[in-house]
Amino acid sequence: MFGGAFMMGAKDRLLPPAIPFRFFATAIVYHLAGWAVLLWAADGLPGYQGGLGPVLAALHLITLGVLAMTAMGAAYQMLPVATRRPLGPAWACSLSWWLFAPGVAVLSFGLADGALWALHGGATLAIGGLALFGGLVARNLMRVSDLPAVTGPVWVALASLLAVLVLAGLLIADVGQGFLPDRASLAAAHGVLAGYGFMGMLVMGFSAVLVPMFVLAPAIPDAQAKPVVMVAAMALAAGASGAVLGWAWLAGLGALLGLVAALLYLRLQRRVLAARMRKRLEPFFRLLKGGWTALPLSLLAAVILALGPWPHVSGPVWGLLLVVGWLLSFATGILQRIMPFLASMHSAARGGKPVLLSHLTAQPVLMVHAVAHAGALVLLLTAIGVDSALIARLGALCGLAGALAFAVFAIIMMVRYRAHHRSQ
Amino acid sequence: MAEALDFPAPQHSPPVWLAAALEQAVLDVRGLLAAGSDPLGALMEAADGVSFGGFLVVDAPFNPSPLRRILAARGFSSYGRRLGGSHWRIYFHLNGAADWEHDSDVAVMDGGAMLWREEDGLHIDVRKLRPPQPMLAILRLIDGDAALQALVVHHERHPQYLLPELAERGWSVARVSEEFQDVRLWLERKS
Repeated sequence: MFGGAFMMGAKDRLLPPAIPFRFFATAIVYHLAGWAVLLWAADGLPGYQGGLGPVLAALHLITLGVLAMTAMGAAYQMLPVATRRPLGPAWACSLSWWLFAPGVAVLSFGLADGALWALHGGATLAIGGLALFGGLVARNLMRVSDLPAVTGPVWVALASLLAVLVLAGLLIADVGQGFLPDRASLAAAHGVLAGYGFMGMLVMGFSAVLVPMFVLAPAIPDAQAKPVVMVAAMALAAGASGAVLGWAWLAGLGALLGLVAALLYLRLQRRVLAARMRKRLEPFFRLLKGGWTALPLSLLAAVILALGPWPHVSGPVWGLLLVVGWLLSFATGILQRIMPFLASMHSAARGGKPVLLSHLTAQPVLMVHAVAHAGALVLLLTAIGVDSALIARLGALCGLAGALAFAVFAIIMMVRYRAHHRSQ
Repeated sequence: MAEALDFPAPQHSPPVWLAAALEQAVLDVRGLLAAGSDPLGALMEAADGVSFGGFLVVDAPFNPSPLRRILAARGFSSYGRRLGGSHWRIYFHLNGAADWEHDSDVAVMDGGAMLWREEDGLHIDVRKLRPPQPMLAILRLIDGDAALQALVVHHERHPQYLLPELAERGWSVARVSEEFQDVRLWLERKS
C-alpha cells in the first residue's frame, strides 16, 4: 500500500544515550592522554619525519582516540536521523566501542614502545572496531538515494577508511619484518587518506546537515555539493597514488586539487552561514572557523611538502595544521555543541521537562579551551619553525590545559544533567 | 507571521492516507490546459495505471471537481489543497472512495511546509521535507510571531532534535498522537 515508503517507527532512530556518550567520554580522555604524551615527547616534534616513538603515539591518540572516536559517536547518533533510515542494532554500535576504545590504548602503547604484542593486538582491535563502524554506516547509506550532499562524501570517507585500514595493517605487520620496500611512502598515503579521506570527507558529509541545523539555515543543495565531492575524490586519488608511487608531481597535483575542493566546500559553508536564521553565531563557531582557516593552509603546506623543500619543517607543519589546526578544532567545536544538545534531547525524550542547552554549556570553561587550543597550535608551529624543544613543550602544555578545560566542561555538563534528572 | 495569513474558516484534518501520497510524483496538467488541450485522456490513462491502494497526484489551475467526481465513481478518494491563487494539488487514493472528497486552503512556506487552520488552531505539515527543513519551518513560524500561542505540527516522526530548540524558546509539547507517517504534536508557548 505504501509502495517504496519504507520508514522506521517514529522513535527507533534514537539510540540509548549511553552509546554516543560512551564514545564522547572516551574521546575526552584520549584528548588528555594525547596532549600529555606529546608534552612528554615534545623534544621530538621539531623536525619529526615519522617512525615509531611517543610522537607517533601522541598523533594516534588524537587521530584515533579523539577524531575517529568523536566521528563514530556522532555518526551513530546523527546519521540515522539525517538519512531517515536505520543504522544498525545498538549492540553492534556498542561492540565497535569495545573493540576500538581499548584497541587505541594498546596500539598507542605499541607505537610509543615498539612492543610487537601491543602493535599487533592493538591494531587488530582498532581495525576491527573501525571496520564494524564502516560496515554499519555503509549498511545505512545503501538504503539512501535522496541525500547525495551527505551520502556522497560519506561514501568517499568509507572507501578511504578501507584503504587506511589496509595500509595500517601492512605498516604494522612490517614492523620487525621489514618486507615493505618503501615504508615512508605508504605511511604518507596512510596519513593523506586518514586525514583528508576518512575524517575530512566525514566532516564534509556531516557539515551538510549539522551546520545548517545549528545555524538554522536551508541544507546545501545537492547540485552544489556533488562537484565538490567529485573534485575531493580526484584529489584523494591523486594525492594517495602520488605518495605511494613516490611521484612528487602527482602528490602535489593531489594537494592542489584538494585545495580547490576545500575552497569550494568553504564557499558552500559560507553560503549556509549567509542564509542562516540564527543571527548570532554560538561560541563554538570560533573553533569551526579556526578549523576552516587551517584546512586550506594545511593543503598549501602539503603542496610545499610534495615539492620537496624543507621537509623537516614542511612535514611536521603539514601534520600539525591537518590534525590539530583543522580536524581537532572542528571535532572539539562540534563536540561542545552536540554533547549538551543530545543531553537536552534525551532529557526531553524521557517525557520530562527538557534541560536547557544553555544551562548545560559552561561557556567560560570553553573559552579557556579555545584560547589554550589556539595557543598550542601557534606555539607548536613556532617550535617547528625555529627548532625549539622548549617552545614545543610550552605548546603541548597549552594543549593539555585546553584538554583539561574541555574535560571540566564535560563534567559540569553531566553534573547539571543529573541534577536536572533528579529534580524531575 | 502566521496570524497575518488570510485563512478561510477552519477546515477538516487531512486524511490519514495523505502522508503516503506526499511522496508520489505529480502529474501537472496546467501546461496542457494553458495550451488549450484537454488533459482528461492523459489523466484517465494515469488513473488506469493505479492499482488498489495506490495514488495519483495532479496539479491543476483550479479545483477540478468534475474530474474528482469521475474518479470517485471509479473508487478514488480525493483530497485537494489550494497551494496558491490558481494552483491546486489534488491527491487521489484508490481505496473504494471510502473517504471521497476533502478540500483545504493552505499556505506554502519557503521550503515547502504547508500551513492551514483547523478548529484547534494553526497547523503546519512538514512531512517529506529533508532535514533540517522541518525544524527550520517550525522555528521560523514560532520566532516570527510573538502572538502565536499554539501550533499543531504534522511530522513523519518524533522531531527529537527540535525539542531542545523549543525548550530554549519557552515552548513545550503538550500532546502527541501517532499514526503511520503522521506524528502530530500539539505545541504550546509556556506562560
